[in-house]
Amino acid sequence: MAGQSDPHISLFSAEEVEFMAEDELIEIVPNLRMDPLNFICGDFGPFLPQIATQVPFWLAVALKKRGKCAIRPPQWMSVENLTQVLERERESQGAFQVLPFHYVEISRLLFDHARDDIPDMYMVRSLIEDIRDVRIHKVETSLEKFSGTSAVKIPNLSAMEVNIIRPFVGRALQAFYKHDNPEKIPDVDRPSSAQTRVANNEPRRPLRR
Amino acid sequence: MASSGGEWSAEQIDDYEALISTTDVELLKKAWRNEKASPEILPFEEALVKRAKEQIQLMEETVDDFEESGHDPLIVSLYQMDLDRVQFLLRSYLRVRLQKIEKFMFYIWKTDTYRNRLSIEEEKFTERCIRDMGKHLEETVLSKMPDNYQSVLKQSVISEEDDMVPEPQLDTFVVAKCERTTRPLYLDGSRQSAGFDSRDDHFQMVPGDLCILRYRPFQEELTSGNISLV
Amino acid sequence: MHGRKAYELVKEFASGEKGHLKIFNNELFERVIEECNEHHNALQSLIRKMQEEGLEVQTAKNADHYGALVHHLSLTRNKRCLMAYVYNRAEIIRDLAWKVGLLHELPSEIQEKFGDSEEQYFKDHSKSLKLYMSQLSLDVNVDMVPPKDPYIKVRVLEDLGSGIILSDKSANFARHSMHFLKRTDAEQYISRGLMEELTG
Repeated sequence: MAGQSDPHISLFSAEEVEFMAEDELIEIVPNLRMDPLNFICGDFGPFLPQIATQVPFWLAVALKKRGKCAIRPPQWMSVENLTQVLERERESQGAFQVLPFHYVEISRLLFDHARDDIPDMYMVRSLIEDIRDVRIHKVETSLEKFSGTSAVKIPNLSAMEVNIIRPFVGRALQAFYKHDNPEKIPDVDRPSSAQTRVANNEPRRPLRR
Repeated sequence: MASSGGEWSAEQIDDYEALISTTDVELLKKAWRNEKASPEILPFEEALVKRAKEQIQLMEETVDDFEESGHDPLIVSLYQMDLDRVQFLLRSYLRVRLQKIEKFMFYIWKTDTYRNRLSIEEEKFTERCIRDMGKHLEETVLSKMPDNYQSVLKQSVISEEDDMVPEPQLDTFVVAKCERTTRPLYLDGSRQSAGFDSRDDHFQMVPGDLCILRYRPFQEELTSGNISLV
Repeated sequence: MHGRKAYELVKEFASGEKGHLKIFNNELFERVIEECNEHHNALQSLIRKMQEEGLEVQTAKNADHYGALVHHLSLTRNKRCLMAYVYNRAEIIRDLAWKVGLLHELPSEIQEKFGDSEEQYFKDHSKSLKLYMSQLSLDVNVDMVPPKDPYIKVRVLEDLGSGIILSDKSANFARHSMHFLKRTDAEQYISRGLMEELTG
């Protein structure tokens, strides 16, 4: 699945999730003067030295790479805040702390392209990894709550956790609701040893005996 | 989509969005996400696609002008990136729809609701798909079957329904976020709903809520724009 | 036994690597079709027998009735398997049409896996896609993954000389020097191990 956008229509690849995260806004501090940029996706600038302005992540990274700005890490990405989030995350069994939907992708983008703009980068990265682990574990243990329901609220889940849940929820709950359809063209389950099975929105067409 | 009792039609939503100036790119991204995550084919965003194509064309001309006039290539590449991003969204949106048509061609064709959701080009594409597939199955299998067993849609003439037609699995589960307060829904089934910590009689979402939903009961909430899929 | 061949056919498809075609199994396929006709003949003669005995075929639930039913069900099951085999292979063929436009551009290892009608189906579907794209004046089989920055940061690993002309400028590629290049310019050097892409 790596790199390919469309093997199963309904799933988002890691690249596609990152693509969506790149539209989130972030503050940059230009180090020189630049004309405004009038894109299809919006108008940005004018860019004046030392005057902070908001742009989408993909543009921020591109400008940074071109030596035209520094990136201001978002407020939630401080050691102080993240320490608190981690603590609360560990304490609460059922609830998830408030974090940006794309916190994983955003932090990764910043670590890859704006390391020098993040104070205490190693600490921040380590905290985010811990938070991620606690949350993933929480998600996995909550999966049983889903069985037998038509709708579940999942407050404060992030894009990455949603992507993790998706195949499991799809499988488990679909089986519950599979109604007896008249026989469709059998699509034999394709065994794949190396790859994990992923949920798809194709009709399940089991082969009779 | 008929509007009834407070529900918004597709045109009204379009106008509203334009008014609060959600960019076309954001609308296109949402359309792409919805289409990708939904098991069924959704109504074609004709106006949006048209606008996107126009803006792409304009931008392509702009980039060409920049390159010719010796504009800083690093800046031009930024415009190129914006262009690439929109093109990816547009192409992906159309591509996902084509792939759904390929998967469910017979069902889409014979189900009016779905057939009406296709663009003119998609309709022609569907027709060709069916013709090609029909011809292929006829040659390899059907023409060699005994009489009464030669239908592509039915196992045999005694089948009461078209029982060989793959159809979209609407009871699949999707992840949705709420854009506008949804109608309260009474969901039949064993337990109606569950938050991580509560149970309600009926299920309702308010803006900002993120949920895992069985798709079928929420079809209309999606097409009305009250929820979008992530 | 009833349905064994059909089961083998479907199993053969399923045991293949996902997205890859095995060679069209003509022999097995024909055998299943033969079985369909055998079942049909048997079915017909049982029905005739019941009619000759003056029995209502639908309602007289004797051994012949059930015998006929078994043949009917075996027939439909075989049909489903045959359809599944062709239909699921067709899905892979369509994916190939997305990736590769023309038949002659398909590697011969893949082409030789096609059954008779499948080659035509590939061509038909390619044409169908092309027609759609030309009606829309837009290619949908490109940009299959999200776009990236056309420029990347690189470090030169070996002294490559000065005054190298690139698509947007000229540069001096001294060893250890770092540059911000167009990906398309850098690729040839990266693939030969003369440059590396940098992150951070």
